[in-house]
Amino acid sequence: MFSMLRRRAVSSVIPLLVVVLGVFFLARLTGDPANLYLPLSATPEMRAEFAARNGFDQPLITQFGDYVAQVAHLDFGESLRTAQPAGEAVLRAFPATLQLAGWTMLLAIVGAVVIGSLAAYRPNSVTDRVASFLSSTAASVPDFWLAIMGVLVFAVTLGWLPTSGTSGAAAWVLPVATLLIRPFGVLVQVVRGAMVSALSAPYVKVARAKGARESRVVFGHALRNAAAPALTVAGDLAVGLVNGAVVVETIFGWPGIGKLMIDSVLQRDFAVLQAAVLLTALVIFALNILVDVCHALLDPRVRQRAAA
Amino acid sequence: MAGSGVVQTHAFVRRRGRAAGAFTFVVVLLAVSGCSVAGADPIGEGPDTLRIVLPEEPPTLEPCDASLTATGRVTRANITEALTERDPSTGRLEQALATQWTRTSPTSWTFTLRKGVTFHDGSPFTAEAAAFSIKRATDSDIECNVDGYIFTDTEVTAKALNDTTLEVSTRKPDPILPLRLSFVEIVPTSTDPGARVRKPIGTGPYRVDEWSQGRFLRLKRFSGYWGEAPDFAAAKYVWRAEGSVRAAMVTNNEADVAIGLAPEDGAGDRAVEFVTNEISYLRIDATKAPLDDIRIRRAINYAIDREGLVTAVFAGRPSGQLVSKGVTGYNPRVRPWPYDPDRARKLVAAARADGVPTDTAITIIGRNGIYPKAAEAMEVVQDGLLKAGLNVRIKMLDVNAWLEYLLRPFPRGTGPTLLQAQHGNQAGDAAFTMGQIYGSEGAQSSYGTRELDASITKAQLASGDARQKAFADAFAQQNDEVVRDAVMANMTGILALSPNVRYRPDSATNDEMRLADMRRAD
Repeated sequence: MFSMLRRRAVSSVIPLLVVVLGVFFLARLTGDPANLYLPLSATPEMRAEFAARNGFDQPLITQFGDYVAQVAHLDFGESLRTAQPAGEAVLRAFPATLQLAGWTMLLAIVGAVVIGSLAAYRPNSVTDRVASFLSSTAASVPDFWLAIMGVLVFAVTLGWLPTSGTSGAAAWVLPVATLLIRPFGVLVQVVRGAMVSALSAPYVKVARAKGARESRVVFGHALRNAAAPALTVAGDLAVGLVNGAVVVETIFGWPGIGKLMIDSVLQRDFAVLQAAVLLTALVIFALNILVDVCHALLDPRVRQRAAA
Repeated sequence: MAGSGVVQTHAFVRRRGRAAGAFTFVVVLLAVSGCSVAGADPIGEGPDTLRIVLPEEPPTLEPCDASLTATGRVTRANITEALTERDPSTGRLEQALATQWTRTSPTSWTFTLRKGVTFHDGSPFTAEAAAFSIKRATDSDIECNVDGYIFTDTEVTAKALNDTTLEVSTRKPDPILPLRLSFVEIVPTSTDPGARVRKPIGTGPYRVDEWSQGRFLRLKRFSGYWGEAPDFAAAKYVWRAEGSVRAAMVTNNEADVAIGLAPEDGAGDRAVEFVTNEISYLRIDATKAPLDDIRIRRAINYAIDREGLVTAVFAGRPSGQLVSKGVTGYNPRVRPWPYDPDRARKLVAAARADGVPTDTAITIIGRNGIYPKAAEAMEVVQDGLLKAGLNVRIKMLDVNAWLEYLLRPFPRGTGPTLLQAQHGNQAGDAAFTMGQIYGSEGAQSSYGTRELDASITKAQLASGDARQKAFADAFAQQNDEVVRDAVMANMTGILALSPNVRYRPDSATNDEMRLADMRRAD
């Protein structure tokens, strides 16, 4: 297991470097931040001073060297926009996104396991058809539209929920529901498909022939084997959420990493953008390793391959 | 049997381990969420708190960046104050922390300061603090926005003559110095001279109470304020990027004021429309054919249906010049160009007959989100120009790519362009419009003439009525003889107001939202 973790960690270093390099150089190709941060009437001298103060007058390779040296000391630079340390801004925003993603994935997985298993238990039954229809719909609804409709219906028309913000449990309902709907729809379909295969497998027939309880057959035997593909897809969906639920964070005023990244791209706030991408990439690599570990725990064949 | 027992025990331990893992995950999630919710943004804070929802969080509250819209609408006249202030309706300069000012020589002004004013930290407001603030804003390492916006073409030095008398000198004669100083927010001498401050101390009716970054900013009424105490004991700002959500917060009684709305945001009967100082226009690159022919530039102006645009696309009033009423230099005789497609066609045909390459592709460089339905507006313009006989295509860009076209040096090899732009003269004097936009060497100017440059220079040196007339003449000259632009409309802003609050927005509201002007409705 440890050798597998070590291999995964080592193989993650190269993509991480590519991400850091890509973000650093591509961001600087998108225009001069002086145009955004100085008044339109600023003189050429003011622009030159701005560039010199922020190191933008140096060759790109020198800027990159300085950046790497700073990061090695855990110094991510200063935000051009707020004049605050970029690392602080990112660390402040990340927990909000992690909470949102954590609750969303927890509810999506639990809901998908229950609904997907029920649908797969009797394929082509009414339950199965309704679950398939609803999950396909859920997987295809645009989240922007859903969020706005949620605000109009549940906040403005019915007055049951606040429109936005993060205060109190009620404020979590619309963002989590909006974010939940797509992963839930996708996972229901994956769980259903995997469970249909698993429930018709020989080992399930053997378990039933031996007189095992039906709940044990479904949850102890079939679900465990069906969990691997669902876990892979859930991992992918979780990565998407950790990357920042940009639409939901923007509409509901959620101070998360997605909104921070979009703002820093639009504002050419390079230090914040680089810090946010680096931290997000690290978390995504950690998440991928976690998914691999879960795979190994679920499936002894994976453990054996890892050991070999 | 013994072996079977061991297997069962292992299976039991594994199941318990998994259950414990899942339980731990849920507990951690709950704990983290609980912490966050505890520190979250309670929207309602009682009737004594004015709740305002903004499109974006202020990047800083640094007083010398108050000319930035996102900062200024929170700080200016609320947390900090200047020596003078401009009435946006009349254009007149009023007293603020200075009660009187006199021009003692062509390059020197003397200001008499208000007595009995204290800063939020209890220190007295003196001429020394005013001199310190002017130096900090115009000559420090902070790169103050106000320095680049207001003081680009002038250098000032300030000296305290005594506690209530301040002398401000300029290198060159500056007839509008008191107006420029309406942008310098006064801070105490204890303010860091070399770094931006996040929680400024000022003399305004409100002081900063708490700023929970990303969530809310709360101001509290300053009990030692020298003027009339404002109605509300506190003001709380939150920010939502989506206009329909801002409008919904007011209709849902989660906020009292929402700004920066578009007609389609659904504020309903809570919506209040007001004329802003923003003017939308197309900048014509008159250095390239066929736009170098004045007939084509006139044809472009005749081909744009301004009434149609403000009725069906965005909110505003047709306009013929880049400043709005109330700004020194506004010329009431410069009217919006009439919509006359026949005349536009004839002008293009006449130019074509004289060999002007009217079939050359002209690119409209648009900017997404510059105002509501920006892309649709350019499609309407394109349609009018195509019907006039020109060959026009549209390229919509994001703000930074668009800025490359707005500011010198312009990108090379682009062919003839029409730039979708908007200009807001926040300062109240045409000097902040004419030089940079119409001067031959202006930062945003694609074309100018020597005659117009001379008129602008003459206007900049004039004062009083002569200044008003000189700038008004320069606007007329631009409109009649140069036609560098197709000015479209004086844009209208929309805010949503709860029935609990009385407030009359004015043309400066987008840049400066005075909390003291917001009153209880009861």
